[in-house]
Amino acid sequence: MGQHVLSWLVFLPAIGAILCLLVPKRHVRLIAVAATLLTLLLSLTLFTTFLGGGNDASAHTIFGSRYGTLHHVERVPWITGQNFTIEYYLGIDGLGFPLVILTTFVSFLACLASWNFEHWHINKGIRAYFVLFLLLEAGMLGVFVSLDFFLFYIFWEVMLLPMYFLIGVWGGARKEYAAIKFFLFTLGGSILMLVALVAMYFYSGDAVRSAMATAKKGGVTVTTGVTAQGVNSGYRIDAKPLTGGTFDLIELATNSVIQKHFASNATLFLGWKFAPLMFIFLFIGFAIKLPCVPFHTWLPDAHVEAPTPISMILAGVLLKMGGYGFLRMCYPIFPTAAEDWAYLLAVIGVVSILYGALCAMAQTDFKKLVAYSSVSHMGYVLLGIAVLTPAGFQGAMFQMIAHGISSPMCFFLVGVIYDRAHHREINRFGGLWLTMPKYGTMATIGFFASLGLPGLCGFIGEMWVLLGTFDAGKRFPWAYPMAILAAFGVILTAGYILWLIRRVYLGHEKHEYEGYKDASKRETFILVPFATLCIVMGLFPMQTVFNFTNGTLDLVLEHVVKAIALLG
Amino acid sequence: MFPTTPLNLWSAIPIWEQLWLFSPMIALVVTMLAIVACPLFIGRNTRVTMAVASIGVLAAFLLTWQVAQRVATGGVSGLSPGNTTGILIADNLSAWFQILLMTFLGGVMLLWWLGSASEERNAPEFLILLLGSAVGMILMTSTTNLLMIIVAIETASLPSYAIVGFDKRDRFAAEASLKYMIFGAISAAIMLYGASLLYGLVGSLGAADIARYTIDHIADPQNRLILGLGMLCFLAGIAFKISAVPFHFWCPDAFEGAKIEVTMWLSVASKAAGLLLLTRLVLTFCNAVSQPAEMALLSPLAWTIGIMAAITCTVGNFSAYKQQSVKRLLAYSSIAHAGYMLMAAAVFIHPSASDSRSALSALLAYVLIYLFMNLGAFSVAAMVIWETGSDKIDSFTGLFRRAPWLAVPMVFCLVSLIGVPPFAGFIGKWWVLVALGNLSTPLGWILVIVAVVNTLISVYYYMRLIVQMAFKDDASRPPLSVSIPGTGLVYISAIALLVLFVWANPLKKTTDRFSENLYRPTPSAQQVTGSVASFDAGNR
Repeated sequence: MGQHVLSWLVFLPAIGAILCLLVPKRHVRLIAVAATLLTLLLSLTLFTTFLGGGNDASAHTIFGSRYGTLHHVERVPWITGQNFTIEYYLGIDGLGFPLVILTTFVSFLACLASWNFEHWHINKGIRAYFVLFLLLEAGMLGVFVSLDFFLFYIFWEVMLLPMYFLIGVWGGARKEYAAIKFFLFTLGGSILMLVALVAMYFYSGDAVRSAMATAKKGGVTVTTGVTAQGVNSGYRIDAKPLTGGTFDLIELATNSVIQKHFASNATLFLGWKFAPLMFIFLFIGFAIKLPCVPFHTWLPDAHVEAPTPISMILAGVLLKMGGYGFLRMCYPIFPTAAEDWAYLLAVIGVVSILYGALCAMAQTDFKKLVAYSSVSHMGYVLLGIAVLTPAGFQGAMFQMIAHGISSPMCFFLVGVIYDRAHHREINRFGGLWLTMPKYGTMATIGFFASLGLPGLCGFIGEMWVLLGTFDAGKRFPWAYPMAILAAFGVILTAGYILWLIRRVYLGHEKHEYEGYKDASKRETFILVPFATLCIVMGLFPMQTVFNFTNGTLDLVLEHVVKAIALLG
Repeated sequence: MFPTTPLNLWSAIPIWEQLWLFSPMIALVVTMLAIVACPLFIGRNTRVTMAVASIGVLAAFLLTWQVAQRVATGGVSGLSPGNTTGILIADNLSAWFQILLMTFLGGVMLLWWLGSASEERNAPEFLILLLGSAVGMILMTSTTNLLMIIVAIETASLPSYAIVGFDKRDRFAAEASLKYMIFGAISAAIMLYGASLLYGLVGSLGAADIARYTIDHIADPQNRLILGLGMLCFLAGIAFKISAVPFHFWCPDAFEGAKIEVTMWLSVASKAAGLLLLTRLVLTFCNAVSQPAEMALLSPLAWTIGIMAAITCTVGNFSAYKQQSVKRLLAYSSIAHAGYMLMAAAVFIHPSASDSRSALSALLAYVLIYLFMNLGAFSVAAMVIWETGSDKIDSFTGLFRRAPWLAVPMVFCLVSLIGVPPFAGFIGKWWVLVALGNLSTPLGWILVIVAVVNTLISVYYYMRLIVQMAFKDDASRPPLSVSIPGTGLVYISAIALLVLFVWANPLKKTTDRFSENLYRPTPSAQQVTGSVASFDAGNR
């Protein structure tokens, strides 16, 4: 298992899915929980790598900057053709690591949250449900560990179908509409990504071949590592020089020959400048997943209609893929375009924060409120990344993890009360804390974490993003007003969450809800880890997140900034 | 205008070795004769007729395999169409097509046996017509001679008209057949006219000569008009065969009227044949170019095919949107897929270019994948239609409950038709995109975007079927009883789609090998790779 730990991680859920197909129906739940638990435990072993500062600076000095060390690399050619190699290339660094842990963690708890399957209003097809659930987990893990763009795209699409069915079959009243909307939006984004995938492959090939041709003619090559035999960027582990196009995400970001070609104003794609266009293609693909305004409209529908565990996965993991995509692809590969579009991205981020918060305030459906709060929270991620400062990047990453903990918790809290009351009208609730004290306490922790109360996890991410945005004022004058506007978002968030808590949990005990059982053992078992993490991450941000991510994030940012200086 | 030099009859008689290369075709013809002879000795027995036909197709398949082995491993390693004006060709391209066609023919016959054979009185006639059109399709992919192409297309088409309207009592089938025949006749006329124009100008029916002449004389405005008109007319005939827009009007009606196994046969096999024929002509043009600079002269042709491809898949996808009949829906979907494959045919690359084979390899792979996707989807549709008696989408309601073991592979096939991983449909589309990107011209990138946008459009109608199967249910509908062999056919297709995705590399290697030797050897490597496996009856 040792050197194939990432493969095991990705395929353990898939093996679980196959087992689910084989065992008798009554054991399916157990197999699924066992598979997610094993995956979680296996992912925790990755800590051993990262505890010893594994995310730190590496020896690779490429392009005047460094890039985070990759661990547990697995690299096998998968599809090869004439000068055409698609690799099965897995690896993990400080970007992927926390998200992998988040995925396995949320998946395990969401699987537990599916335990009461036979009490759902659609309780048919338990086998299909858990098979799809596990396939979804495999796809999500694959996205976070694949370093070959093609492989990434495959995993990205593999998630699509299970999610579609999970929403569409086991969802609420408008499930079909929500499912097809989710499918069309996501596929629309991934199709733009596909164009970028093909284009980046051929344009990188052009760059490498023309550099080789120049070297062959004995021309002056400014860049080191370019010979007539190929371009050696010094990054590749096998140190085999690159002779054509590549799908390798790190190579695309760090190979100076490719980078120069991409960023050049003379590189045109159908008459448009290559880098800005490709950046936008990728950006839209990821922005739909994130989601930010105006690509967010699938999210309230999908979240509201999906069954509780699937909402947890959606909010906890799927949204993070957008942010991960920015950090892994958009920014390192097209740094100049990132700088050119920075103001636009920041504006979109701020609009998402404010618009999401205002929408959340207007909701009377409990689940929809939580869904819109996600739009608002993910706006911070985009803003933090857009401003290109260390604090912004770190804050964005922290916000992703924090939101990945707090929002599944909130969705589960909604699910718990929905299971009992069978409605989600905020205004019909009241006094639940008195009826269900344990549940009420947990709910307060979860929603306060989402609010961003100091001491809980939501605070750190928002704070870091705001700091980062102010910090960017030296570079981008427009950053100051953005930071001020984003800070208003904090107030709005406080507004809708406090109002929500007042309406649902505080006040007099209502007749309607008398005799409701407090959170069961299973529910408590799911809520406690979430609540614990909300507090621990808020109190020890360094030990829980920053220590693992900052090394890589700083390197990525350093790379981006240097690349902008060199190419811009 | 006919040749004045006396034909050397002795040299025209093929030697045994050459005849061997065309043995699959001969086997099919012999099978047809055997089917005719059968009723004379044992009366009209569907079972025996079917057995004879199956043995014949199996024999033809094995012979094809044998020929393919010899052609691909260098026994007679292909030929360069650029250098010959042979009447018949046996090379990698035709071998690949024949393997696929025989596999598909087997599937069609199995479905026919399960679905219609029991109440069919005229089984021998049906099988003869089916095999006859198969022979025509094989001929289509085995020639570059204009006259032969026309003969081949007619050989493929005439039996097709008949099997579309095979059920005499069915009004819709008769209408479909008539419509199909009128369209076919008109396009054949146009095609003949085009061929006569080209022959009049060039003085040869060989596509290679025409290609060479085009490159040499395209600059002359007078020639340009006649050449353009002639080629356009000829292209129209092929476009009819692959139901490319605007020659596609016959397709949905014919497909709806015909029995579903016939629909499947026409939508997949006849399209594949037409596409490979077009590919061969494109190859001939590429090979006729002796230096890269001349490639630019062919760009109008590339644009014509490219635009036709773009329009075809767009129209196909949009027309599929509102269809209520599954047959029509799958028919329009196959038009859209013909569009994607046409895109690969629009990639004209000079034979000496580094990656000139990628488009061809992509097309060969796509045809294979297309075959399995449609085999699976049509088989499921066929079984549902037989059980429910209706081809409306509505009859798929609740299939996940009524026939779960049919619904799951159907989802695989439909998702593969969309082109989403992890199914082979994605791989096929991906290689076409790569081939287009490899072109590095505006045409290539425009087609990439068109293909990708079309994929998005197509999602809706495939998903509509999935939604109907999975999310809509009506408890009053009974579970379906399905036949084991039919389900087996479906599973073979569905699993093939998964396997071809995971083992994409061996597939790529295979199609790469089959796309070898089709380009003229580049001047730098001027050793002939093998004997020219064609026999030339002297067409000048």
